[in-house]
Amino acid sequence: MIRKIHSYSFLKFTDFRQRIIIWILFFLLITSIILSTKIGAFSIKLLEVILNSASPLNEMVLLEIRIPRILLSCFVGASLGLSGASLQGLFRNPLADPGLIGVSAGAALGATLTIVLGSDFVIYTALERYMIPISAVLGSVCIIVLLYVSTKGFSQKGIAYMLLIGIAVNAFATVGIAFLTFISSDLELRSLSFWIMGSFGGSEWVTILPGIIIISFAILWMIDSSRELDILQLGESEASRLGVDVKKLKFKVIISSAVIVGVSVSLSGMISFVGLIVPHIVRLLGGVNHNFLLVGSAIAGGILMSVADLGSRTLIQPAEIPIGLITSALGAPIFLWLILRSVRK
Amino acid sequence: MSITATDVSYGTKKKNILKNVSLEIKHNEIVSLVGPNGAGKSTFLQILAGDFEPDSGFVQYDGIKLTKISIQERSFCRSVMSQSQPIIFDFSVKQVIEMGWVERGLSAYIDDFHQAVTKTAKECFVFDLLEDKFSNLSGGEQRRVHFARTLIQLWRPSGSQEPRYLILDEPTANLDLFYEREILHLVRKKAIDGFGCLIVLHDLNLAAKFSDKMAIIHNGELVKFGNPKEILSSQILSEIYHLKLTISENPFRINYY
Repeated sequence: MIRKIHSYSFLKFTDFRQRIIIWILFFLLITSIILSTKIGAFSIKLLEVILNSASPLNEMVLLEIRIPRILLSCFVGASLGLSGASLQGLFRNPLADPGLIGVSAGAALGATLTIVLGSDFVIYTALERYMIPISAVLGSVCIIVLLYVSTKGFSQKGIAYMLLIGIAVNAFATVGIAFLTFISSDLELRSLSFWIMGSFGGSEWVTILPGIIIISFAILWMIDSSRELDILQLGESEASRLGVDVKKLKFKVIISSAVIVGVSVSLSGMISFVGLIVPHIVRLLGGVNHNFLLVGSAIAGGILMSVADLGSRTLIQPAEIPIGLITSALGAPIFLWLILRSVRK
Repeated sequence: MSITATDVSYGTKKKNILKNVSLEIKHNEIVSLVGPNGAGKSTFLQILAGDFEPDSGFVQYDGIKLTKISIQERSFCRSVMSQSQPIIFDFSVKQVIEMGWVERGLSAYIDDFHQAVTKTAKECFVFDLLEDKFSNLSGGEQRRVHFARTLIQLWRPSGSQEPRYLILDEPTANLDLFYEREILHLVRKKAIDGFGCLIVLHDLNLAAKFSDKMAIIHNGELVKFGNPKEILSSQILSEIYHLKLTISENPFRINYY
């Protein structure tokens, strides 16, 4: 009984309206990227840069500061939106978000450890800029391993259990971060608080390129599980009777979201609510099927994040508002509205 | 061409749920599984479906041990309808039915996809509901949608000789008399088309009327297996159900109230 394995493509965007929405979102993303490159503490005329007639300073600001920053914000937004959408599908819970399984808390704890205690150790200058990202990724890897071991390899009955472990991990990490904050010096506290609230300031090609590459791979890996996530909505045993390898699906979604969230947090700090809110907005826009939802959430996440970052660096120039403040300020009311709406139903 | 269970036993630390149950479901045949609550019917059904393995004994699909068949290949030849869980997100009825389209198995028939969905939806009386939100439907309507999904999973162009099996756990729960009868007629039609069907039913009269063979399970043991009229006796049934039961012959009827 050997059959040729066909791709899932024929069901992709069967809905014409959904296809239109995806294109509109894509157009908005491009617009927001172009706007973000123009606007800022330093107004840049794009045409001049393209025609090579811009001043070297303008060109440098654009290529070395602004573009990496915008690129990173889009990728981080896309990864948070996508992993939020997949985790909500996997846990079959509209309130799930990447923070829920404890991965971002683990990454934050890892980074905080380095910021506060790292200065006590001698660090090679060449590696210095990688120290915080690497320790954040290590922190999230520890959490993934912990989750994997304690749920016996994400086995059949582990899903509710996994949420509880996530809650415990979150609580533990919060204590760790609070303690480290308490013992930190003034200088450390400053970089700590900025990092905990998230920022894309200080994005450089050397640090973001590896991150963007990893995120891209994880996104590509995760995005083709849309059909399986749809079927999973029937329940785990039903899905496996329909030929879905549920254990493999869990592994895929959890590992890839852990990776992209770990990498995102390591480069930009903790940015809350994006992973929770974006999938809901996309569902309201066009539907709940994952082949639409995953792509839509990735694009909408990118839009939201690049716009939020634009706000973060232009609202109170020349200072910057931590981006986590903006997303939380936007996200909390929407979240409340979602809860009230679901209660009324 | 059959699903067979051979000496299947399964138990937890405290209790033996199934003891040496052997059963065969041939194609063109409806086998109904009856027995009191907690007899082990659902566990047996789950083992037949391949949700988990028995402690001893084995299940075979068309002579091949289930453990040798991948999860995906199983989904091509048997579909299962059980007590389903609520669907959280707002999927439409059509989307829920389409979930049954096991793409890797059925992608050869992509051109027939919409026709298959329409036809099956009509058979299960859910055609008018296709665009509705699944979570807004009544219990009986949801049941019919799940049944349509279960049928779509085994859809083949007419005349196909591929072996196919339907495993149904109380398909008529929540259905009114009309749909109860229609759904069982539909199962009969599928059996004529070549399906092998196993149905768990609680209504003994329905089971006796609509099945070719009946299997009575009690305390994890297969008490009787065979032609309903031959194996049903008021003595055995009264004992199993702790009820005073009588059986009238013409028309065949089990009376218990």
